[in-house]
Amino acid sequence: MSYALVVGNGAAGTFSSWLLAKRGWEVTLVGRGTPSTALSTGCLRSGPNLCRAEISEFLNNEKMPWASGQREGISKIGTSYRCWMSPSHSTWKEGETPKSIAVVGLDGHPSLLPRVVSAMLNGRKIKATPFTIPSQVPSDVPLTSSFRKDEAWEGLAEELQGLSAEAILLPSLVGLQDYHRLDQLEGRCGRNVLEAITPLGSPGQRLADLMLSKAAEAGVTIWDGRKVTALDVENDAAIGATVVGGMDARHISAEAVILATGGPLVDGLVLKERDVSDPLGKFRIVRSKFPLTGGYDSLNGMLINIDGRPMVNVAGAGDCLSSGSREYGSGLTEALENAYRAVRALEGT
Amino acid sequence: MRTDVLIIGGGATGAGIARDLALRGVNCLLLEMGDFCHGASGGNHGLLHSGGRYAVKDPTSASECALENAVLRSIAPFCIEDTGGLFVSLPEDDPSFADTFVGSCRKANVPFEELTAKEALRSEPELSSRVTRCLKVNDGSIDPFSLVQANVDDARSAGAKVLNHCAVTGMTVENGTVVEVEVRDRRGGIPASIVPEIVVNAAGAWVDEVAKLAGCRVPMGLDQGSMLVMDGRHCRYVVNRLRSPSNGDIIVPNHTSTILGTTSRPAGAPNDVTVSREDVDLLVRETAAMMPSLRERRTIRTYGGVRPLLGGGGRGASRSFAMLNDERVGNLISVAGGKLTTYRLMAEKVSDRVCEMLGSSSNCRTHKEALGPPANGKGDSISAVRLVRKYGRSASSVDTTDARVVCSCEQVLRSEVTAVLKAGDALTLADVMRRTRAGMGYCQGFDCALSVLEIMMEQNGIDPVPSLNEFLGERERGLEHTSGDQLRQEMLRRHVLNGVYGLGVRE
Repeated sequence: MSYALVVGNGAAGTFSSWLLAKRGWEVTLVGRGTPSTALSTGCLRSGPNLCRAEISEFLNNEKMPWASGQREGISKIGTSYRCWMSPSHSTWKEGETPKSIAVVGLDGHPSLLPRVVSAMLNGRKIKATPFTIPSQVPSDVPLTSSFRKDEAWEGLAEELQGLSAEAILLPSLVGLQDYHRLDQLEGRCGRNVLEAITPLGSPGQRLADLMLSKAAEAGVTIWDGRKVTALDVENDAAIGATVVGGMDARHISAEAVILATGGPLVDGLVLKERDVSDPLGKFRIVRSKFPLTGGYDSLNGMLINIDGRPMVNVAGAGDCLSSGSREYGSGLTEALENAYRAVRALEGT
Repeated sequence: MRTDVLIIGGGATGAGIARDLALRGVNCLLLEMGDFCHGASGGNHGLLHSGGRYAVKDPTSASECALENAVLRSIAPFCIEDTGGLFVSLPEDDPSFADTFVGSCRKANVPFEELTAKEALRSEPELSSRVTRCLKVNDGSIDPFSLVQANVDDARSAGAKVLNHCAVTGMTVENGTVVEVEVRDRRGGIPASIVPEIVVNAAGAWVDEVAKLAGCRVPMGLDQGSMLVMDGRHCRYVVNRLRSPSNGDIIVPNHTSTILGTTSRPAGAPNDVTVSREDVDLLVRETAAMMPSLRERRTIRTYGGVRPLLGGGGRGASRSFAMLNDERVGNLISVAGGKLTTYRLMAEKVSDRVCEMLGSSSNCRTHKEALGPPANGKGDSISAVRLVRKYGRSASSVDTTDARVVCSCEQVLRSEVTAVLKAGDALTLADVMRRTRAGMGYCQGFDCALSVLEIMMEQNGIDPVPSLNEFLGERERGLEHTSGDQLRQEMLRRHVLNGVYGLGVRE
């Protein structure tokens, strides 16, 4: 069996670990902190051109079914959000906009402001009515933690029963474990329950959770809260790495490495002043005027060392790769696709 | 509609004139095209000058500042923080300047006290240990928004009509007299045509543009200055560089932040306020020479103002002011130049002239009558002090029993926003911010803009998307110049606003 080390616990890292594990590799995934996947809206903006079947299988989860195709949803401020794949309650099929929407906010909580959102929707010719339900959740406490108990959902269902709109728009209330409660709520109210598209909240976190659990199920060894501080290289090939976590530092050997450390946004690449650089000091970086697009240089998926030669067994995936024209919000699809490319590149060796 | 005096411009000068005239019983109307303080009255440090800065090169301005400093402390203590000021010199500064400075302060009656370098470091621990000489003066920090609002409120209660968001768009001149003034009113409240007896042009950087409407010219030097807002307060005193006035000389602790300034370059137009990357670097470099720890602080915003200076503008131009009467148009008085610190004096001189023209003999009272409550302090809670600082006499109209907070950076209550909207002058998110400070803090409105917007939509139905784009676009000005960890955060912020929410906040 071959040993692979994957660095990074976001979309690119977990998907490539999962793919490698399914193909018979012994995989160790080292991750630390919050990946940008967890800051995202938890939806894929664009349809992948590569590996659609693998992505569907990877994201498949019985608690949280997905919908794909041309989809449309409502952002937490009421603007339109279009994407290709989302959890089923986040969007509707494009062209099937609900005729009327009750926008539900929790009193005093900024997660979804019903008047702002309703006015935005009315401005887009969608009939929307603001509705505020009483809440004790302080404005700086995320709602997810308050909607873990049955009583909270009972109360919510009762409040929503009288609403007459075709669909009910809610703030994001659920993590992965509780996603099925949205189906139950829909059953009880007899109306479509929609979750507002919310960045920096539970939708991104539950996607990150889902992906990590998928990798674990496939047999990937996950080392959480740890960091790769050095990579040992011989003859343009990685042979091992030093992994540090708290007081513990250990050395592991590897026959293949995927760097999926994330871009400058999450500290995967060092951002000094305005220039990105490689924290490991081994690989060539493409710099750009706007730091968001700078990152590792690569050739056919393999990173290029500072002497300008492609590595034999070190591939890059996700945001840490340089990208000439990365569109805002399309990162997840791109990350998954080039995770797939990285795995293919390593298997070609 | 007719009025004895039409005042154009709702900065400190215009508002001061309206108050002065109203207290003298003169019938007057003030029109401001944007919000109060939208020009240089809002785009400055918030420094209450002791006069020290101008002592050497501009002694008239220095004496005016020293006198007015004392007057403002007595009439408007609620919006002034008595921080005191330090002038410090470093080894690379011309040592003879300090001696000249001392002599000039004596001549201009600017009070000062010399501290040893050791004493200076003891009272201001973040100062550079390289400081060679230190003079202590009466500088303070002042909240210009609160000051101008207090003038507006006081003018109104004395009978003046004061309107923001009303722009003067044209003037009809007949036989050397302005007989009619055309108005575009965005808020509703006055007819489109005003018939004034006298017109006072106090339009600040726009003074020449207003004069042109009557066929006159006011020769002005427009001069742009950049400032940086750093998160948190890092000094007790206002810290000035003891050298011939130059760029990056001043550090002002104000409210929850520290303001670094300024620079000087010719401005192409009254609204040419753009701050360049070079300005940002220069301000940090120069002020960090006096206080090295500023290098480590987070910049939460950059902003610029355009100084309307007499003559050619630039560092050499006088900070004094002048009244100009064009002989071709007898009832138009233009006022130009001056400083925030001397706004009241300018207003007094202009009002004297107006009264002379009207044949009124009443005297100025603005230096004697309080603009607001005495400074709070002992025994009051921090939140009560904060409310008085922002709202002066109106602080009592805020319902403090409702503890809901809309802006957690600046701890702004929901009921403050409600009270401000009820007063009727605030039409935009920025108007609410100038009054409440919601959006002026660490996150620059990322968190609170929507909550404030919701309250505004409830009360006056503003259009949400353009409002957000305008406000958030303005608040993130200059943040593209940041680096390191903050750059990551700004990238994320734009990603959310533009990429996820689909807003058109500028790239």
